[in-house]
Amino acid sequence: METFINPKSLFHLLLLPCLLLYSSIAYNSSPVEAAMHTNNWAVLVCTSRFWFNYRHMANTLSLYRTVKRLGIPDERIILMLADDMACNTRNKYPAQVFNNENHRLNLYGDNVEVDYRGYEVTVENFLRVLTGRHETAVPRSKRLLSDEGSHILLYMTGHGGDEFLKFQDSEELQSHDLADAVKQMKEKHRFKELLIMVDTCQAATLFNQSPGVLAIGSSMKGENSYSHHLDSDVGVSVVDRFTYYTLAFFERLNIYDNASLSSLFSSYNPSLLMSTAYYRKDLYKRRLEEVPVTNFFGSVMETIHTDAAYKALSRRNSGRFEDEMSLDQSVHHIKRRMLIKVNDGDEIHDINPEGEEGASKCPWSTFRKKFQKAENVDSLLNYGLVAMIPLLVISTWLVQ
Amino acid sequence: MAEISEAPDSDSSKLLGSDSKAPQRPDSEPEFDPKLMRKTKPGLKRLFLTFSVLFSFLLGFPFLWKSVEIYRSPLPFREIDSLSTQLRSDTLLFPLHFHALFVGFDSDPDRLRWSILSEITKLTSQNPKCSDNYTLRPTSSPHSSSYQCGSVTGDDFVQNDDVVVDERLASVFGGKNNEYSMAVVKGVSERAVVGKYRHAWMVVGDGSDVEMAVVKVAEVLIKVFINGGREEGLIRNEFMPVGADGKIVLSFNLLNADPHDWVYDWDFEKIDDTLLTPMIEALGPVANISVESQVLYHTPKASFSYWNQKLESYVFSTKDLPFLVNSNEWHLDTSIAAGGRSKILQFAVYVPSAKECPLLLQLPNGEISKTNGFISPMWGGVIVWNPQGCLKDSEFKPSAKNIIPIQQDLENMFEVFIGQFRQLFGFKSLNVYTGASGDWNLLPSERGFTEWELDVLSRQHTCFNLLSCATTLGSLSRLVQSLPRMIIKDEIGKQVKLSLEAAKLALSNASSGVYEFSAASSSQARSLAEDAFFHPSIMSVSYYSFEHCFAVYSPFFLPVSMHVVLAALRELRRYKQEKAKYLAWKAKANTAT
Repeated sequence: METFINPKSLFHLLLLPCLLLYSSIAYNSSPVEAAMHTNNWAVLVCTSRFWFNYRHMANTLSLYRTVKRLGIPDERIILMLADDMACNTRNKYPAQVFNNENHRLNLYGDNVEVDYRGYEVTVENFLRVLTGRHETAVPRSKRLLSDEGSHILLYMTGHGGDEFLKFQDSEELQSHDLADAVKQMKEKHRFKELLIMVDTCQAATLFNQSPGVLAIGSSMKGENSYSHHLDSDVGVSVVDRFTYYTLAFFERLNIYDNASLSSLFSSYNPSLLMSTAYYRKDLYKRRLEEVPVTNFFGSVMETIHTDAAYKALSRRNSGRFEDEMSLDQSVHHIKRRMLIKVNDGDEIHDINPEGEEGASKCPWSTFRKKFQKAENVDSLLNYGLVAMIPLLVISTWLVQ
Repeated sequence: MAEISEAPDSDSSKLLGSDSKAPQRPDSEPEFDPKLMRKTKPGLKRLFLTFSVLFSFLLGFPFLWKSVEIYRSPLPFREIDSLSTQLRSDTLLFPLHFHALFVGFDSDPDRLRWSILSEITKLTSQNPKCSDNYTLRPTSSPHSSSYQCGSVTGDDFVQNDDVVVDERLASVFGGKNNEYSMAVVKGVSERAVVGKYRHAWMVVGDGSDVEMAVVKVAEVLIKVFINGGREEGLIRNEFMPVGADGKIVLSFNLLNADPHDWVYDWDFEKIDDTLLTPMIEALGPVANISVESQVLYHTPKASFSYWNQKLESYVFSTKDLPFLVNSNEWHLDTSIAAGGRSKILQFAVYVPSAKECPLLLQLPNGEISKTNGFISPMWGGVIVWNPQGCLKDSEFKPSAKNIIPIQQDLENMFEVFIGQFRQLFGFKSLNVYTGASGDWNLLPSERGFTEWELDVLSRQHTCFNLLSCATTLGSLSRLVQSLPRMIIKDEIGKQVKLSLEAAKLALSNASSGVYEFSAASSSQARSLAEDAFFHPSIMSVSYYSFEHCFAVYSPFFLPVSMHVVLAALRELRRYKQEKAKYLAWKAKANTAT
């Protein structure tokens, strides 16, 4: 360190005293409006049991297929089916579920992942999925892991009535329970936008207490929702009218289309449905003509291009890489051989060591070197395990 | 009744007997109506019996009430409210110290100080109120220097190697936790560099004046050290991919689109040890990160690409990016280590098949991307890597497994991954910051994030976590107060208390400038608040409503209590009647005498 010698020297050092600065950050009270749309989720619920409610299962599976085709992956779909129609003993076509009497489409054909099946579909589990209050052991595939940028599609079908939806023929979901769950989801920012679609009798009463969400129901208070047609081969009605016309709308679309929600909502013809499809959009800020259906039914990821790599790391480490390459390769191979010995016992596998075999000509000397250096804790552990095996063999031999 | 019979005889005899005597005995026993009068006091035994039964019922009622009481662990509602108001009204203050060292200038230090201050206030007032509120209150005070005068001279900056200069300055300045330093020297070539630690330096030409230097100094302080190189100072919510329990799981996936063509493998452990582990350690205070990796086969992509003759390769554009991730075939989310509330970030390397190789990404302006990769906020990133085989297909014989060569390709790939990871946190990876008054070179760090970037992250995450914690606790308290009959377990009360303590600790650490500890305790506060709010016992369906309680207990007590009360009332009424009769008799007897 140089010392300050001559005040008249050329280097006139000026030291500014430090400036004490306070940087303060405050947050806007409602950051939700600024949240970007990050992903789409779908919660599809079929609440009816028994063979004669085949059509509710077919409804839900048809919507599942549509939503997957338009891009939402399985990991973001929660599918709840209250009964198993495909493998029902009364099903003439085992492992097949149809939604049309022409049997053109097998809904249960490929890649169906049911998250809640059979008796797991209860009001309590449904509300737990919505509010997110699970036990700690519940796996991730059964949770609604949405964040504040998610758009959620909630589709419910089954038997319902004035302000309730029947679950499993033994309990009911009341509209105020659903409203409560939606309110809690909103408070915890579990969604950016929510679309509730209900296909039951008197469907519109189920969401009349849920504020601030977009919702469409297949019938109004006092009206019933009807099935579309009976499949005389299978023996039951295979699809409901509301879902049938919804699917007819979506079969015309593919993943790149941007048909709007208002066209979906206006495609329902009350005379064909034999009920009035009622939708509600209070507090929904955007105009329905501008919202594409893929906002809820499909999945469009927001992407940002990566401009540059973060280059600083290879300079220091490349030299180290070359030096340790041969050494570490040999450790790697020995480790692999040790592992195979430990795992397979007497069998000896023909391993393919991928080329650089030369270093392990004399495994014992390299083994000792490695042991002394104790470089790799994993390999040390493996050596210890391997050393125990002869001891084990000897001791068993001695015992016998 | 025996008393009555004698009276008329004696009366009549006495009346007949004497007319000279004054009538001494009055017309004694007046008309005695047994229905309206009685001669003796009514007994209390019956009344006592019935009332004791009623009283025992009433005595037992508080015990019954206590036994059906809902157990609610007491939550500190007032403290939760005070935390929310404190965070909303007083903004979080992070103190920063800033040293500026001017070598070779001969201006007055006080004047320089005031000019820097004025530049700083000008810059912060330019900041529009985008969802955050910056108030910089510079107070300059003479501060004893922590290093000797003359320890830094102009010679130090002559070398062209920025790293060496950086290390030298680090040894001089010390780089303590919330102190930022700046050195301005006069030299030959102009250069402006921001180092890896917490300082920057600038070499100005001989002819330039102090004012320009002052402007640049203020700019680097505000725009780079405080805002992290972004235009608006705040990280938006979609660039904070930390799970609610403070954990992130990085899942690295190598996707072989068509294994019939070639199969690639990678030596993940090696690269994890050298490149990823230092970065994970550096981010320790912000999030608890763990790493997983897997290799997948038969993973075609979902979008299309077309052959470009000029580039002699298959090209996909940025319009195809949202559809590239084929979620039906890419089974990425198979992590078993991640808990329910952790955040998983997927990093995928896509190795295209021979039919689509080489595959390049074309940007909207026609250029070919240098990184061949993109991110999706809160999800992760994808890189398309073209194997060597597709360029010279005659020599290449894809047979057994091939390993991605470490030096050439794997390191570059992981550098892009680190760039993507930084992008997910909102940081750019270009080595140059272009400010209003000039360019600054930003030195990269081996740990993936420089010290000042870690400071920015710590500050932003502290603020975000504390606000999230306060909001969650507020929602919980509102929910609990709106359902007076919901059971609140002890565990919830404990978690709320611990969360409040952690939040207080974070606030105190933040105000004393220890950013790392404040970030760590704020993330702990947030995760405890989330645990309390998402406790599985808070379910509106299962709480014990008043109607339920009434319906259970009324068949027991209602009929019995009706009879008891009626009996008591009847006995009371009878007693009153008998008492009235007695009093009437007594009154008559008194008037007669």
